[in-house]
Amino acid sequence: MPTAIGQELVALLPRLRRFALVLCRSQSLADDLVQGACERALANADSWTPGTRFDAWMFRILRNHWIDHLRRMRAEGMAEDVTTQTQLIGDPGEGPILSRLVLSEVQRAIDSLPQDQREVLALVCGEDLTYREAAEILNVPIGTVMSRLARARKRLVELTAAA
Amino acid sequence: MSELHLTDEILMAFADGELDEPVAAAVAKAMVDDPGIARRIVDFQQSRRLMRSAFSGALMPEVPPALHAAVSAQIEAYEAKQPRAVVTDIGKVRDTRRWGALSFPPMALAASLAVVAAGIGYWTGSYASKRTDTLMARLEDPAVHRELSRVASGNEVDLPFGRLRVISSYRLEDGVLCREFKLTQTAEAADAVACRRDGWNVTFALTGETAGSGYVPSDGGGDAMTAYLQSVGAGEPLVDEAETKAMMDIAR
Repeated sequence: MPTAIGQELVALLPRLRRFALVLCRSQSLADDLVQGACERALANADSWTPGTRFDAWMFRILRNHWIDHLRRMRAEGMAEDVTTQTQLIGDPGEGPILSRLVLSEVQRAIDSLPQDQREVLALVCGEDLTYREAAEILNVPIGTVMSRLARARKRLVELTAAA
Repeated sequence: MSELHLTDEILMAFADGELDEPVAAAVAKAMVDDPGIARRIVDFQQSRRLMRSAFSGALMPEVPPALHAAVSAQIEAYEAKQPRAVVTDIGKVRDTRRWGALSFPPMALAASLAVVAAGIGYWTGSYASKRTDTLMARLEDPAVHRELSRVASGNEVDLPFGRLRVISSYRLEDGVLCREFKLTQTAEAADAVACRRDGWNVTFALTGETAGSGYVPSDGGGDAMTAYLQSVGAGEPLVDEAETKAMMDIAR
């Protein structure tokens, strides 16, 4: 019997992966993050409140999983090359995404932004979440969301106008 | 001077439609008066469009089949672990003492239920008729779900494919509402529990042949049902007002 959360998860996979790519910029690592986040979500399925946004709940789990991953890497004292590690599930390689990045001026500009600006940009302008929803996912005050977002967008306009 | 200081954040929030009315009106006025302000707002609109187009295009490659398969496998494993058990022909089950003593602690029972759930193929393969399969499928019929959200305990309704009797309602510790009910078809009946997590889901079912009267004697699996309800922490049934209130909550 398919459960509601299972169906929601499958439907959300493309967007989860897209957000994971914004976070880590590595296709193989992104796939790993998504897989790990899904595992966490299923293990804690009871903590999702039906009627609230499932996507926002998943984005938060995914991002927390990413932060844990960074902490673990730091704790292990390893500056692992993100493109070579954790190839658990068949790695299609970096080619497709990188070539798209090269092709796209905007994408390159986005990619040059600091991580804290990239993720808020992705959530608000890419995923159409409100400032408040983004603040809850990122666990920062709404004012922080706004200042990071404004800086990211000004920079984006500057970079693309100069191109 | 009472002039509003128009920070980037305020202009951006205006462009995103996130400003409350008094401030939004002030920004709209400033925009008319000052082309520089208008320009900054247009830039924020532009950056949103840029991000959006980059995001929906380049960064949305197909989900790799390997990832899709891995997550689907996780979901299947998760769904298999959900409390859900089917025992067919409770008479034979009782005779062969498959359930053993039903006084073991809830955790042990939960574990044994999981085993039964994993062994559905075995049970149905051994005992069940095609009729039983149909009956099991009917437990998940939208008409049954609809009546579970509507009918008070102790009442019966006739459905196109059988007679539904709602027996009792329970509130689990995590607040989930569960209802025990019986679905009777011509020669068979199922005692089942459905819990409401984002819609009704049957979590437990016992099926057996009806006696000539079309009624399954209440001890024909009553022990297993009681033990199941205990194992999930159902507690005392909701009666009268408590049930009415629970039913109104789900109708909202």
